[in-house]
Amino acid sequence: MLEEEKKARPYKVVNPPHVHIGLDKNELMLKTFLLMSIIAYASVMVMGLQALFHILVALGTVLVVYNSVTAYQRWKGVKPTYDSPGSPLVAGMIVGLAMPLESPYLVTVVVAFMTMFVFKYIQGKYLDHKYLNPVATSKSIVLLALYGVATLNVFEGALQGGMLFHPHHYQHNMMGGFADMMGFFESAFVDTIPFFGIEISATQAHFFWQPHGWIGSGMGIVVLVVGSIAVYWLRYKWRIVVSTLGTMTILAIVAALVWQNGDISTADMITMRIAFHVFSGSILFMAFFMATEPQSTPMPEFSQFLFGVGLAVLTFVFQLNGFLGGSIIALVIMNMTTPLLDRIVIKKPYGHRVKSVVD
Amino acid sequence: MMKGPRKDHEHHFKEQGGFEVDISMKKESIDDEFTEVPPADEMMVFLSQHIGPEAEPLVKKGDGVKYGEKIAGKEEQDHMMVPVHSPVTGTVQQIKDMPHPISGEKGRVVIIKTEESKKCPFYEPLGPASKQALLDRVREAGVVGLGGASFPTHVKLSEKGIDHLIINAKESDPNLACDVRLMIERPKEMIDGIKIMGKILGTEDITFATRTKEGETPRFEKLLKKSDINIARIRPNYSVGSERLLVKEVLDKEVPSGRFPPYVGAVVHNVATALAVSRAMEGESLVSRGLTLYSKKTGGKNLWVRMGTPIEHILRYLGASPSDFERIALGSIMMGPTVPNTSYPVLKATSGLTAFTSSERYPYKKQLACIRCGYCNTVCPVDIYPQQLMMAAKKGDVKRLKELHIEDCIDCGLCSYVCPSYIKLTPHLRRGQAHVKGDAVEDL
Repeated sequence: MLEEEKKARPYKVVNPPHVHIGLDKNELMLKTFLLMSIIAYASVMVMGLQALFHILVALGTVLVVYNSVTAYQRWKGVKPTYDSPGSPLVAGMIVGLAMPLESPYLVTVVVAFMTMFVFKYIQGKYLDHKYLNPVATSKSIVLLALYGVATLNVFEGALQGGMLFHPHHYQHNMMGGFADMMGFFESAFVDTIPFFGIEISATQAHFFWQPHGWIGSGMGIVVLVVGSIAVYWLRYKWRIVVSTLGTMTILAIVAALVWQNGDISTADMITMRIAFHVFSGSILFMAFFMATEPQSTPMPEFSQFLFGVGLAVLTFVFQLNGFLGGSIIALVIMNMTTPLLDRIVIKKPYGHRVKSVVD
Repeated sequence: MMKGPRKDHEHHFKEQGGFEVDISMKKESIDDEFTEVPPADEMMVFLSQHIGPEAEPLVKKGDGVKYGEKIAGKEEQDHMMVPVHSPVTGTVQQIKDMPHPISGEKGRVVIIKTEESKKCPFYEPLGPASKQALLDRVREAGVVGLGGASFPTHVKLSEKGIDHLIINAKESDPNLACDVRLMIERPKEMIDGIKIMGKILGTEDITFATRTKEGETPRFEKLLKKSDINIARIRPNYSVGSERLLVKEVLDKEVPSGRFPPYVGAVVHNVATALAVSRAMEGESLVSRGLTLYSKKTGGKNLWVRMGTPIEHILRYLGASPSDFERIALGSIMMGPTVPNTSYPVLKATSGLTAFTSSERYPYKKQLACIRCGYCNTVCPVDIYPQQLMMAAKKGDVKRLKELHIEDCIDCGLCSYVCPSYIKLTPHLRRGQAHVKGDAVEDL
């Protein structure tokens, strides 16, 4: 070392940049959680305390897992995977909002536990990132397991009470008999919004007051507004949302035109189809808050559109076959295509959009 | 006090994807008139202050030197070599090796004991002259690009077939305000320099690219109009400061990958370089420059500093102690390195100094796991995929690095700046470039 350097005061040497935008992962999670809390509040208004208990059960389960694993990691001298409960809380809230209202609380606990322990901790530890959406995968596994149990007629009574998937949906013809199915739904929905006394149909209920289905779908319009704010404010992968909901809307219109019902006008059929295919919680809530989960979705822009289109088409196919909770399985299938989608349709960088003429 | 620009300019620069870059440091500096910092008792002049080979010393220990006198750079050296001059009148005390503040590699330094701080141009003013004579003077005066890259100006001015000269007055770095100050305080000299550049390049199509709004620099704008120089008002953002992107913005021409602006008939020069060219014609070697110093302790200051002045001397001159700070960044806070200690001097490329105290937490200290949010590729001004490149660089996957065009990274730092996991992607990308070139790959 030279004399000057010996005498000089040493400074910390770091690589640029020396400033940061200020929004970090924990803040991102906190803001997501706060936004989802608005949806949760709206859903509890519509669905009542049962919805609140599901949400609290899911949040409680993930917090127990988070605190237990963090304590274990500290005891072992390992750096905790999560330095704040932000990400676990978001996962817990998604589990809560993605459960059907009638599902037993035990199922919510199982899904929340699997989400946190298996698909967040274990998947994150052994793979370079999370390839599968933790909530969707946990729910799909439980759903498929229960489906197996249902086919064997074990716990039939519990299933009829509603878990993750409703075998009774199979009886509906989602093609030509769609209008009849919506009529059947009238019985599950309210015809008057409490407090306001406004009369609504099953179609309108999908938009404003839906006490049936995923908890996150209680007020479709609130999900749409809050989800849009989240996409803009927190810069979720908006292309996935737009392509999923856009494709579902197009498919709903096509279905309305293909399978008409003589008693109902085409416009009404279209509205009814859009209400059901787009505003069901398994679509709307999923499109904004599950399909945009960053780790399991593609990074290239055009691939995000492909992801959303694929997700919508698969979901639609499931719906037409009476498998109304199938959107999460569609999401897991699309998650599996992400490594491929990451490699195709890479946009051309600056300098490659023109031909370089050789001198 | 000389009138500054209007105060209603934006608080942030807006980047792709709507991400904002805070420019409060710039705002705090923009109204501060230039203050001349006197030379230190000992000046440390690096002989490599530009892109190209180090200048060979022409002096030895004990030699007396005059202000502006050439102390390094032999005629027969490479065309990319730029001479280095003494910033003071004094005596050479020593020539030795020292780690270079930018490259970190050993470089030669001439230590000069200051005996007289008076400034008197070393060369005779150059009157009407041929293009070649003008070009020779630019090189002889040691002029290099003062925007930060310090590319030899005479090399850029030697390009043939140039149709457009773009003057980059965008000053996109969020911590710098010295170029705008120069436009306010020295408009005539700058415009003289621009005209000389146009003359050397043989083009009358000159565009002055600025982010200032109409009326912010009235004297300067009036002189531009009088000189038939076009003004291009560039949207206020950080990334378009890159000359390749500026060409696209101004001329709507894309410079192909691996090529430079002359390939599309354009040359881009920094506005401060134009001033240096003008001063060179008056006989002044490039031994001093304007820079912006920012720290919470001193506020934003525009300073006129001689190259070779140790940073500690500047801090003391401003009434601050070097021990007040924990880290000091050279040039842009988005792209500039930090100096390892207070003895390091100002170079030709030093457009700014930003001193951080220990209470200003280094934001990237606590790196979290990547969540693949895609912020990095959304904000990237050249549309590459920094996160994917980082993963490929970690694996040393050259095929993938090439597929994703690692070579097109402009090192702007925006991907790191927006990363919610505080991941510094740029060093990974540099490693990726080294993998592709087959160079030694640095450890991180």
